[in-house]
Amino acid sequence: MFLKTFWYAAAWSNEIEHSLFARTICNEPMILYRTQAGNVVCMEDRCCHRRLPLHMGRLIGDSVQCHYHGLIFEPQGRCVKVPGQELIPPSAQLRTFAAAERHGLVWVFLGPKDLADEAKIPDYHWITDSNWGAKGTHFNVKANYMLIVENLLDLTHLAFVHASTIGNAAVVESAAVQFKRGPDSVDVVRRMTNCAPPPTYVKAGGFTGNIDRWQYINFMPPGFVRLETGGRDAGKEADPSAKNITLRNLNIITPESETSSHYFWAQCHDFDVKNQALTDMLFDDVNAAFRQDVDVFEAQQQSIAGRPDAPEVDVHGDIGGLHARRIIRELIERQLAGG
Amino acid sequence: MAWIDVASAEEVTEGEVRGVKARDHLVALYRIDGRVYATSNVCTHENALLSEGAVEKGEVECPLHLTRFRISDGTCLGPYGTDLACYRAREVGARVQVQIADEESR
Repeated sequence: MFLKTFWYAAAWSNEIEHSLFARTICNEPMILYRTQAGNVVCMEDRCCHRRLPLHMGRLIGDSVQCHYHGLIFEPQGRCVKVPGQELIPPSAQLRTFAAAERHGLVWVFLGPKDLADEAKIPDYHWITDSNWGAKGTHFNVKANYMLIVENLLDLTHLAFVHASTIGNAAVVESAAVQFKRGPDSVDVVRRMTNCAPPPTYVKAGGFTGNIDRWQYINFMPPGFVRLETGGRDAGKEADPSAKNITLRNLNIITPESETSSHYFWAQCHDFDVKNQALTDMLFDDVNAAFRQDVDVFEAQQQSIAGRPDAPEVDVHGDIGGLHARRIIRELIERQLAGG
Repeated sequence: MAWIDVASAEEVTEGEVRGVKARDHLVALYRIDGRVYATSNVCTHENALLSEGAVEKGEVECPLHLTRFRISDGTCLGPYGTDLACYRAREVGARVQVQIADEESR
């Protein structure tokens, strides 16, 4: 069961051109394309006649022609031509979805169009803000989206999964952690003082000694996890000339099905923002780390599929993830109750 | 029975829970209507630290599964776990002390 009255990231903006692009979101197969004027269209990927996926068809101007019997649908989803007959059945209408472009992504709204309020698209401006360097990508992960959310809310795994890149033992053993649950949000604050900088921080920040390190993690449903992480020369909080770096790791996780996800993410930095080599290096390190995570998610999902009722034990690091699960559960209950 | 000094009085504030160690005991301190209370800091369900949980209306809520305990007497209010051990607590000057049985083990 998925949350319907939310915006979901469907694609990076540069993935959508004047051609048919297929993507499944929350079990809804969709096609996306750009009209000749550049507006994004999103509609169900299923001909309303004999249900062939429309992405097998083609664009004629701004309209879609089904590959099977040649029915033509305009961008609003209305059938405008049935080859071989003059009249068009009045119910020949495809479902269309509200779409918007923001923060370098195409977003679609799964609920009724009159509820699609673009102001509810979460803030990811760092991805396109010229004061930040940024680079992102998309993974198609064979795992439920909440496995990814929980991973990001419990960074103690950095010490084990990512020891070669962004993690080290200090991340798990000496962090002071605070959890805060809002009505529809979870915040986790992790602070590590006077610890050795991880390899990526040494490369990016040029740290030579120990650092004070922070990780602020914010979750909003359904799958939005925004991280601010950074480091500063140890004990120099009040010293503006102390070496320090701030990074944003921005995650937009869209369910594809109950057992697969579209994982959009970007790595952003607030220093030396025009240095493409730095942007690439930070992205490459996080990319290597996140691919390690994907191996974990997919192995978890297989393990869960093998025995779905096997029990799980919760430990302290799970506090944030458990809050997130409760928020999702409450929203689903509200949706089922029609609220 | 011995009184063990565990915290300064100003560290124990209304609406919050503070985790301390008294010898080898993990103790949670609270202040309710001005008075200091002490319970075990370990949830009786899955050993989570209550000092990472929330305090509201004289109750402490475990951060993991939201089991609630009455702070004044340790009564478990569910949904999981059993009653929580309590300690006598007092303020002496600007310090907080809790009473630990000499032979008692955690």
